[in-house]
Amino acid sequence: MNIKVIVAIVVLAAGLMLGVMNFMESNVEYADFNTAEQSGRKVQVKGVWMKDLESGFNAEKAQFTFYMKDDNQRIMKVVLEGAKPNNFELAESVVAKGRHESDHFHATEVLTKCPSKYEGDAEAVKNTL
Amino acid sequence: MTAGILGALFVKGAFLAALGSAFFYYRGSRNHHAIVPLARMSFHAAVIGLMSAAAILLYLILTNQFQYAYVWNYSSTDLPLPLLISTFYAGQEGSFTLWALYTALIGVFLMQYSMKREYEPEVMSVYSLILSFLLLMLIVKNPFEFIWDRFPDDLIRTGPIPAGVGLYVLLDDARSVWAQYPAEGKGLNPLLQNYWMVIHPQILFVGFSAMAVPYANAVAGLMRRDYTSWIRVATPWLVFGAMILGLGIILGGYWAYETLGWGGFWGWDPVENSSLVPWLLCVATIHTTLVQRKNGAYLRTNFALSILTFLAVLYSTFLTRSGVLGETSVHSFVDPGMWVYWLLLGCIVLFTAIGFGYLWVRSREMPLQPVQHSIFSREFALFLGAFALFFMAIFVTIGTSSPIITTIAKGKASAVEMSYYVKTNLPLGVIVAFLSGLGQLLWWKHSSGGSVLRSMMPSLGVAAAGTALLAVFATEEPAILLLAFCAVFSLVANAQVGYGIYAGNPKFIGGSVAHIGIALLFLGFISSERYDEQKTLTLEKGIPVQALGYEMTYKGYVPVDRDRYGFLVEMKKNGKIHTVAPTMYYSDFTKGLMRHPDLKNLLTRDVYVAPLSLEEPTSGRREQALELMKGEEGTAGDLKIRFRDFGDVDRTAMIEGREFSISAKLRVLESKSVKPKDVTVTILGSQSGMKPVPATLTTTDGKSYELILDRIMPDREDPSRSKVALKVVLPEDPSVPARGETLVVEASIKPMINLVWMGTVTLVVGFLLTIVRRIQEARQIGPSTES
Repeated sequence: MNIKVIVAIVVLAAGLMLGVMNFMESNVEYADFNTAEQSGRKVQVKGVWMKDLESGFNAEKAQFTFYMKDDNQRIMKVVLEGAKPNNFELAESVVAKGRHESDHFHATEVLTKCPSKYEGDAEAVKNTL
Repeated sequence: MTAGILGALFVKGAFLAALGSAFFYYRGSRNHHAIVPLARMSFHAAVIGLMSAAAILLYLILTNQFQYAYVWNYSSTDLPLPLLISTFYAGQEGSFTLWALYTALIGVFLMQYSMKREYEPEVMSVYSLILSFLLLMLIVKNPFEFIWDRFPDDLIRTGPIPAGVGLYVLLDDARSVWAQYPAEGKGLNPLLQNYWMVIHPQILFVGFSAMAVPYANAVAGLMRRDYTSWIRVATPWLVFGAMILGLGIILGGYWAYETLGWGGFWGWDPVENSSLVPWLLCVATIHTTLVQRKNGAYLRTNFALSILTFLAVLYSTFLTRSGVLGETSVHSFVDPGMWVYWLLLGCIVLFTAIGFGYLWVRSREMPLQPVQHSIFSREFALFLGAFALFFMAIFVTIGTSSPIITTIAKGKASAVEMSYYVKTNLPLGVIVAFLSGLGQLLWWKHSSGGSVLRSMMPSLGVAAAGTALLAVFATEEPAILLLAFCAVFSLVANAQVGYGIYAGNPKFIGGSVAHIGIALLFLGFISSERYDEQKTLTLEKGIPVQALGYEMTYKGYVPVDRDRYGFLVEMKKNGKIHTVAPTMYYSDFTKGLMRHPDLKNLLTRDVYVAPLSLEEPTSGRREQALELMKGEEGTAGDLKIRFRDFGDVDRTAMIEGREFSISAKLRVLESKSVKPKDVTVTILGSQSGMKPVPATLTTTDGKSYELILDRIMPDREDPSRSKVALKVVLPEDPSVPARGETLVVEASIKPMINLVWMGTVTLVVGFLLTIVRRIQEARQIGPSTES
């Protein structure tokens, strides 16, 4: 076989391998607080914001702290690097991305899952009559 | 009411006309030339129908007709005209309308263009088919749906109409069925209330629409077994698509930078990626077609890439419009329902089948042109560059599809981190940057190593010097250094080649100019993303803070634009003062706090200030609450407070509505003193309400307490169990800092971000010059000379 073709195939295979490895590595797995605590790895945890428990923004550290209950009903303090996410009050559930630290879950990102547009609409349409 | 029904009819009519046009054009391409005028008429009918429907939709929006679900969903009466216009494409129905409209309008030009090049029946049959699918989407997702059809349970009633129901319409007079409809809309998402949104989606959709043309040209080429000259016909459109879509992408990035407060212009978001992938493929196609023009190679590659570019548009639309991405992105993707999902999927399958099916059938009879070029040839550089762009597109597509892939593999959707895109695209970016310089210096067929090296000397030298400076003054990863090196190399090489071309034949300078634009973009990415300094600042009102080389002071807030507030931050450096006003406001639409950054664009940098939160002033004095029964004693700070009894109340004054007071008698004992003091705290009552009067108490050691009667809780059955609620403001405690109103912001410096905007303008100019040249070329050569 042509040497050029072989080189091309090798380069291609290496590139694809790197791509696949990258893909696996950067795909943050879903977990609950228990597994997050045990593994200590970066995971994403889905849950609901405990509105009754304290939450607030620490201006000095620029961190937003709140309490979140995961699907196993475990409540955990979550410290987010940054301000309160948009739509936080409206969210029916939130997803925190980060890792467990000694007494809290340290999140680098919190995504909010908002009620499907059309569920809220029937209510909204009555309000605008 | 009739306007909407008419609009829906126009859409259906346009769909039938477009479908008819596709069929008639197809017959026309099978040697039934007589039918071509009919096909043209059908196409024009489709265009007019669609334009009428779009005009009606715009009319409904401008006149606030909230009996239409779409208008109600995205508009409201308080929007100014430009924003009202942009509600046209705020939702799916409207943006599909816009896409279809631009596809139709481009089709009018395409018809004229391909008529002159004798390519009309084939090209237009494919193109009409594409248009008819977009129109089918508008039938499924009707922008003219009445609001009571969407919420029948809430709005449709039977029986007599009660007085004062507001707006209503009689649906069935005989059975007295009627429907209520809103007088106000839900309003436009505040993120879209921005002048960039008036222009940016339009440009993107023109780009998306233009991507259908190379597909139509490629399939047309396959239909008539023309494997070479179709490229000349398609090239101006490829370049046009790349130019418009590229501009749209960067404008979208600027919107994210300026409005969303991402802190950068690129976030590898699915919506951004979905326009990047077709652009990458389109640019790759432009480069591989250059090789085929020169030596006839890559016949199949060019067909495949042209087809793939359009399929990427469809796949992107599927990803961002079908709801498959769910909640894995910062954009919220509305689930449009099963019909749209299957229709989009059907579209992908159909156009893949047509494109690649034809290619597969024809590829067996295509001449096999052996690729004869050395490694030192422009062909090879073009091939490698296109290959790298193609792989970028693949990696970005895989990343964006991650929620789908992980759902299939693991059962739960998850998105990839941004780092995935950076790691996969950085090495490919280095290759692209290097080749965009090298390719210009190489000759076609073969270049001798020596001559290439000689011509590379100046650019290599400048690049090496620049990179060395960077390596000395900034600790940097090798990959970034390499990218910087290649970008500078490409910049100088293209300037050198461009100058040479300008001296010879200025018409051909487009390529060099576009590559200079790309090199500037690369350098802008590096400087603004890698060398940005970021700091979270806590700015107390009026107190300057030194950060990022500026003296920053929060000066308070001022109202801007309706009910929004701008938070003024003054930045002082070398005696010059700039003020930025990032905004924060509560939005009824999103039921949350909205934050918009503000920036100061300077020649060498942007100073970017994103608001995080506003903290209320704290006095440094803490409050303590006490609830005491008669005779009971409580402690607050150094004080022991006993509630002795209520004071007398002037009941006649209370009943007659004159001013009266309620009071409580307290006996206060300092811990360091033996002599108690008697203090009376009161609440003054009048018609305007109850107001407590604080009593100040200074202790022997000079500390100041404030006693406030908060509430009285008399117990009628057992007066001795009556209670009072007190608030005691404790003296200033040095451990609790007093603080005024405080603004928390994230400030950052983006060095040389102007390179990005400069690069964009240069790139667009380069594309424009190329389009002019390629249109002239397509005109000169014509189809009949080669096919």
